Amino acid sequence: MQYCTPLSELRVIDEPRFGAKSANLGELLSAGIRVPSGFALSSRAFASFVDESGLDGRIADAVAGLTAGDAVRIGRISHAISESMRSAPVPDSLRDEISRRYEGLARARGVTSPPVAVRSSAVGEDGQDATFAGQQESYLWVRGAEHVCDAVRDCWVSLYSPPAISYRARLARGSEPPAMGVTVQLMVDAEVSGVMFTCNPVSGDPSMIAINASWGLGLAVVGGEVTPDHYLVSKVTGEVVREQISAKQVEYVPDARGRGAVRVEVPPARRDVPCLTGQDLSALVDVGRAVQRHFGSHQDIEWALAREARPGERLLIVQSRPVTALSVQSRPRPADALSMVMATFGAGRREP
Amino acid sequence: MARPSPAIGAFPSPYSIETPSGCEGWEEMYPYYALFDARRRESDEHRFWFWNSMHFPVPMPAFDVICIDSPYQAVGSWQNRVFAVPPAMGIDYRCVNGYVYISGNPVTDPATIAERSEFFARRAGYYYENWAQLYGKWRAKMDSLIEQLQDLRVPALPEYESDEIALRNDRNTSLYELLDAYGRLLRMLDLMWQHHFEFLLLGYGAYATFVEFCKGHLPDIPDQHIAQMVAGIDVLLFRPDAELRRLARLAIETGVDHAFAQGRSPAEIDAELRRSDAGRAWLGELEEIKDPWFNMATGDGLSHYYRSWLEDPAIPYAALVGHISALKAGAQIERPAEEVQRERERLAREYRELLDADARKAFDDLLGLSRTVFPYIEEHKFFCDYWFLTSWWNKVREFGVLLAEHSFLSDSEDIFQLSRYEVASALDELVLCWATGGSPLGPRHWPAIVARRKELLSRLAEWTPPPALGVVPQAVTDPMTIMLWGVTTERVQEWAREQEGGVVLNGAAASPGVIEGLARVVQSVDEIADVREGEILVCASTSPAWAPIFTKLKATVTDVGGVMSHAAIVCREYGLPAVVGTGRATAVIRTGQTIRVNGSQGTVTLVGAGPAAAPARESEAQRNDPTTVGPGCDTGARGGL
Repeated sequence: MQYCTPLSELRVIDEPRFGAKSANLGELLSAGIRVPSGFALSSRAFASFVDESGLDGRIADAVAGLTAGDAVRIGRISHAISESMRSAPVPDSLRDEISRRYEGLARARGVTSPPVAVRSSAVGEDGQDATFAGQQESYLWVRGAEHVCDAVRDCWVSLYSPPAISYRARLARGSEPPAMGVTVQLMVDAEVSGVMFTCNPVSGDPSMIAINASWGLGLAVVGGEVTPDHYLVSKVTGEVVREQISAKQVEYVPDARGRGAVRVEVPPARRDVPCLTGQDLSALVDVGRAVQRHFGSHQDIEWALAREARPGERLLIVQSRPVTALSVQSRPRPADALSMVMATFGAGRREP
Repeated sequence: MARPSPAIGAFPSPYSIETPSGCEGWEEMYPYYALFDARRRESDEHRFWFWNSMHFPVPMPAFDVICIDSPYQAVGSWQNRVFAVPPAMGIDYRCVNGYVYISGNPVTDPATIAERSEFFARRAGYYYENWAQLYGKWRAKMDSLIEQLQDLRVPALPEYESDEIALRNDRNTSLYELLDAYGRLLRMLDLMWQHHFEFLLLGYGAYATFVEFCKGHLPDIPDQHIAQMVAGIDVLLFRPDAELRRLARLAIETGVDHAFAQGRSPAEIDAELRRSDAGRAWLGELEEIKDPWFNMATGDGLSHYYRSWLEDPAIPYAALVGHISALKAGAQIERPAEEVQRERERLAREYRELLDADARKAFDDLLGLSRTVFPYIEEHKFFCDYWFLTSWWNKVREFGVLLAEHSFLSDSEDIFQLSRYEVASALDELVLCWATGGSPLGPRHWPAIVARRKELLSRLAEWTPPPALGVVPQAVTDPMTIMLWGVTTERVQEWAREQEGGVVLNGAAASPGVIEGLARVVQSVDEIADVREGEILVCASTSPAWAPIFTKLKATVTDVGGVMSHAAIVCREYGLPAVVGTGRATAVIRTGQTIRVNGSQGTVTLVGAGPAAAPARESEAQRNDPTTVGPGCDTGARGGL
């Protein structure tokens, strides 16, 4: 049975099987957006893991009848399930398939053991809930097929973290087995990375691209561990409408031992330096507009600027999803122009 | 998303403002009705007054008060008596230490507002519908007024009247002509302001509606882009510079460009030009364009300090020097009209496409109306504020010259230190003594007054006027106050908070809204169980594990994180104000302290109360305490708990 598919072959229609992250990356590739290559595991991979390891029944029993507020019990159950999952083997057929795909990435890149990012790809409503966003784990700078398999399993384990269990309990979906895909994608050695919204998420202005950027891998911005540089750029003219350069205290960099990412202090001399140039900003705006156009809705996009890349190839997109929780301030109700002018003068206004 | 704003105290009472030392008696420069008079205290003290720093940034010379009275008479008559703008009559003003404070007179009775609405809809509607035609008439009225002003002669007082008076009996005596000229000069100013406000309110109102509409749908749109979509291409105000560019090219073509060396004064440039035929020819060309294009003012024209390019050519000459050196460097100096036109249409098209489909019709109509009214908004400045006013102040100067010739003033410019009534009085005495041959008291009366007032104005200039006086309004509803001065409810509340003082932390405005409440400082995730209903969360940053507590919160403040961080996203989803990336909120704020979170502007104000006294106040106390040793104020803020 096939569990893995190259990202480039996925489309939005594959979301129920591969999760939103993988499906959206496939869409981006189809639109010609620069996205690091990779492959996706379908949610069946997880199903076969719990099935073949015989964990499915035990998990179902453990979570039955849980209530969201029962923090002590949730903690205990989470711990027990995680332990069992970590000691269960990944089925051989899946392990082989992951290795084959990983080696394929290595060959295409022309290196042995290329670093990859292994991330969960939420299926269904989980992917839509902003408060829950990022709840599942990401494993960065993973190298070697064995470690990729371990990271895949760790992603599955994150489905049973205490917040994840109580989240499902709160939605009264506690007893259904959760579904999750996994994305495995070549790692970008990012000098700068960040998040971009194709509108201003605070004001709701659709004519703006909002960009947060900081040094190193994306973890620092996404995890809220730094106050990033903030830019608001007009889509219409490309001019920077607002710019706030912050002191960026920490960054994530690849571990010198070759595996994983580590959090380090940014040297003081570099903290206050703006991490994007005008060229970077206009490249971001162009890609942001293209991504928005492709999906036909406002997008929340994770991106990275590769440390060593040819000019024009620095920018890569590593994730895109629809903007949730857009605060739309009260917009004037459509009316005819003259009566709006009259209202400016306080005329024709009805008493409430 | 609108939340009730917390109540704020009052601005200083207009009756509590002290006279700066050495400025006693400043009131003599202003009309009796322009003062905060004890007999009107009951009503004046309970109004909201703001300093009109936009039009009157410096202490007012006595004569210039005419440019307060006359425009406020005119604007009130159009707004209140002609168009009957429903919720607003006119604007009152008062002088405090020489500075001008203003306050609108609201209409609050619903029945009256309804009655006025009918007048307004009919009359304003007529103007909008017939704008181009009415504006054409307006231009003719202004042209004729400017001509009358230029024709106004200030007669000298001759030793003997001319034969025409004695023998032909077809002229009035100089005394009558002089008093009549002064009277007519004042009336012309009134007429100019009358014209000025005929279209201004309606023009600004249409444009302001478009601006408000754009900002409602596109909250971050730069003002400049809105103006670019509306502004005309072939606008009169661009003409003066277009003429200068032409003359710059002419200077190069005729080989006189060397005269325009960097750092030379206009007089030095003229002197150099006069040395050659080509230079003299160029100066002749310059003379040709001066009327009317050098009637630009160096400021907004409302004060006698602002001169036109005719008297102070520093600005046009600097422009000529710049254009010539740019041309010689091979630069393109033409205003790219076609490009401006294309950009104007492109902006309008792209912004329109970004709007919700049901808003596009209103966008088109409002943009169309704004483009119709905009020529007036741009051009009235040239006719009224620049051309008319600079010429008018010069006519006043001619009376100053006359009074100086007769030693009533030591310098003709001193006329601006006297009120218009005092000038009338001085002229009365002047013509009286001229007629009688008697000895005038004026030369021994006015110079001392002038000297004292110059001294007063220079001392008053040192004083910093508070932005507002009187009560803090619940909301600013007067359309003119909002439109012309940009004084909105938010602005007034900012002023009020500045009065209050308190420590303010700045961060990113992550989720809009303003709210005040008790802080709960949470240093780690283990402490989130302590958070109580209705508190404001203050923490380093949040992660998805914190999700359950957000339902309890009133607002969130973080040390680190941007507008796309977890805390920001969740707060927007729940509609809670949030300020993120303050850097030091957890160090400065303590649990139980009252703080005000402004998620729209990205500020957190420590309003004192709670277990920690406001740090600012404590350090103040320490500074005044002789037993305090060293600069130990910092510990005061952290001490209490």
